[in-house]
Amino acid sequence: MKGKRLSRRDFLAAGSGAAAATLLGVPRPGESSDQPSSRVVLVRHENVLGEDGQEDSAVLHEMLNRAVKALMGETEAAAAWRRLISPSDVVGIKTNVWKFLRTPPALENAIREEVLAVGVRPEDVAIDDRGVPSNPVFQRATAIINTRPMRTHHWSGLGTSIKNMIMFVPRPADYHGDACAPLGAIWNLPEVKGKVRLNVLVMLTPQFHGVGPHSYSPKHVWPYRGLIVGTDPVAVDATGARIIQAKRDLFFGEERPISPPPHHIEIAGERYGLGVSDPAQIELVRLGWMEEALI
Amino acid sequence: MQASSAAIGVLVCGGLMACSGDGPAGDDLEGVRAALPMEVAGWRAVDDGEVYDSESIFAYIDGHAEVYLAYGMRRCLARRYIGPQGEADIVVDLFELDSAANAYGVFTHDRDGEAVDVGQGALLRPGWLSFWKGPWFGSIYAEGESEASLIAVNALAHAAADAISVEGEAPDLVGELPADGLDPRSVRFLHTWEILNSALFVGGENIFSLSSETDAVLGRYRREGGEGWILLVEYPDEATASVAEENARGGGYESRRDGKRLALVLKPATPELADNLLVNALGGAR
Repeated sequence: MKGKRLSRRDFLAAGSGAAAATLLGVPRPGESSDQPSSRVVLVRHENVLGEDGQEDSAVLHEMLNRAVKALMGETEAAAAWRRLISPSDVVGIKTNVWKFLRTPPALENAIREEVLAVGVRPEDVAIDDRGVPSNPVFQRATAIINTRPMRTHHWSGLGTSIKNMIMFVPRPADYHGDACAPLGAIWNLPEVKGKVRLNVLVMLTPQFHGVGPHSYSPKHVWPYRGLIVGTDPVAVDATGARIIQAKRDLFFGEERPISPPPHHIEIAGERYGLGVSDPAQIELVRLGWMEEALI
Repeated sequence: MQASSAAIGVLVCGGLMACSGDGPAGDDLEGVRAALPMEVAGWRAVDDGEVYDSESIFAYIDGHAEVYLAYGMRRCLARRYIGPQGEADIVVDLFELDSAANAYGVFTHDRDGEAVDVGQGALLRPGWLSFWKGPWFGSIYAEGESEASLIAVNALAHAAADAISVEGEAPDLVGELPADGLDPRSVRFLHTWEILNSALFVGGENIFSLSSETDAVLGRYRREGGEGWILLVEYPDEATASVAEENARGGGYESRRDGKRLALVLKPATPELADNLLVNALGGAR
């Protein structure tokens, strides 16, 4: 079904029948033609970054749980996480360790704590990025939680939740043609298909422009202090892309389209059925501090 | 490959290349390494630097290495300089390309910034200075900004350019772009479809048959109240140029061919502008 990332069959196959019944109650792409079909939560907190730029672990963890509760329509974080993960799951937390802008370890640990709190055995949880193909937990994973910072990228326009699965393929460069249009295909590989239960796009200090061999300059990140959370990676990335584009236009004082265009986001929805990118089809829930939210 | 093993490999390789003479004319990498000062403006080198080849570069530059490989990168000398207390590090990356034309091409890959007088052309943006000289492309990157680091970036750039003794020529094709309405800062020299798309997104299918065997120059024009681009391509032979011309016309692109050269107009504001741009392309009336 177009836009329905996690099918009932996929979820039942993972041995989580009771959880599946409730999970499928979450607004889903394609359920209604006149309603938003994917829910995305933008949560921000003014104090998540200290004056030194370091994350406040407690605030970050609170932001994560607040977003997950809103996403799943629960009042308690534990209940929300139980609708995403079951105790019998083997969980790979796919992170991103790019040296200039990595997923904060504090966020990785917060996700791991919540997964363990659901009842998943410690030996059935792993956090990894470049080692995922050979990581024994990822090799037998029934569930993946996908988290990375959003940044501009030389070949794909943006480094996105969708792109974060590229480490599952042996030759990432094979996907660089046509501005990485086929990235969504990776989500249909057996190692990934139907397994990604949650996407946490880190917008604490997103990068809106890249320069030089290392594609990074401190001038081109800013303290947005947010997370974008959702089960639909296309909707999550499309929401993040709108913020990056707004920041670029603001910073450069003119329209400065993301280049190359991050059309892999839209294509992931339209060609690979991973979700929806049209803002009209996305229910955006805003939580917390919203000054200069740009969206 | 780890940087350290790459460095060891290059020590051997450098010797071999010196013996065989297989490499760009002029400075060899070890000569440039030796000539590059270990201390500049208060910034001190951590060591004499790591050397990366076309394989190990992927471990050093995550996601961007293909740009340099598309321009015939042979090796990269990377040296980190530590600043005085409270100052950020500065990273010097010197890429050895297979020709001066390709060094120029890499330099044109990002043309933002203020022109400064280093090497044969240089641009300074916040925290980053790039330059080209002979078959070398230089990148001087400050991991944080201050008045002192800006001075050091400039000093390191001059020192790096001085360490390279040879100069080279920009590609002849660049001079073939019509001057009328050309934005000089938009000019890019390139070979492959991927690099074209990163400069100006055209589409997924390589209908112009660009490859490492083709030379191309791209320029933006502002004329008659509109904007458009000329892509001038030189193919290895007329047959390839002819196929590309046919494909381009099939794709709805205005084009004009002269032997193995093909001029294309991309994203013109109006059909009239496309026609007018083609009139001057390839140096003559249509």
